[in-house]
Amino acid sequence: MRALVIDDSTTMRAIVSEMLGGLGFDTAQAGDGREALDLLESGQRFDLACVDWNMPVMDGLEFVAAVRARRQWPYLTLMMVTTEGERGQIVRALAAGAHEYVIKPFTPDALASKLVLLGLLPVRELR
Amino acid sequence: MSLLGAVGAQQVAQIAQEFFAAMIDREPGLLTSWSHGPVTVTDPMHAWVGLGTVPASRLQLTTSADTAGALTRALLSKGEAEPVADDDVVDALGEIANVLGGNVKALLAEHAGITLPEVSRQLPPGRGGVGAGEALFAWRGRPLVISLYTL
Repeated sequence: MRALVIDDSTTMRAIVSEMLGGLGFDTAQAGDGREALDLLESGQRFDLACVDWNMPVMDGLEFVAAVRARRQWPYLTLMMVTTEGERGQIVRALAAGAHEYVIKPFTPDALASKLVLLGLLPVRELR
Repeated sequence: MSLLGAVGAQQVAQIAQEFFAAMIDREPGLLTSWSHGPVTVTDPMHAWVGLGTVPASRLQLTTSADTAGALTRALLSKGEAEPVADDDVVDALGEIANVLGGNVKALLAEHAGITLPEVSRQLPPGRGGVGAGEALFAWRGRPLVISLYTL
């Protein structure tokens, strides 16, 4: 499984990538939605994108909408990574095509639970 | 009543402690209320996010540069003696303010926006606006101040 971690914070990208690596994912990173789209358009295949909401250049919602509008990556699961304050906007992200969301802060176990729900991890990964 | 008082200092403490336990320390109990008398932050660094409440408000995190470096190492799972780049420290401190601000904002206004974080050695403009309130913490014995105020 390959995951793309999209966040303008290098720190958060490193943390999420480390968590995903511990769950068996190979990861790549992008600093905003535009960079992430560039990676997708270059032909790299990802099974999962963890998408921060609040980013410069192209934010998470714009990225989700752009991915779904192009219909080139139907296999790509989109998970929003947000703070509690953005929970109210999750409906917009789900309507735009996001599959799931996780609220910062979160633990590796919480992330694993979401990935099991999405069918990207077997249930045995849950502790 | 200060803005911090309106949100509830206890709720701010809970948000901060959950964040530190989940993503910084990977164990609970290392961020506690400050109980060592007046706080003096030497060589301070400030990180803040603007909250799109009405009126506009801001959450600000202040700690020493040394502590900011230690927080960065903890976030990135680096050893205590490992060096960290200045850019990493700025990013890490900003992200802490971002997560705290995003969660505190949820207690103030559901549909308000949040700005991208800013980090500086200087206090941000507008500091000390209406309803300034501070929550004082000790992280591994080091002082850490969370301020919440309207602009």
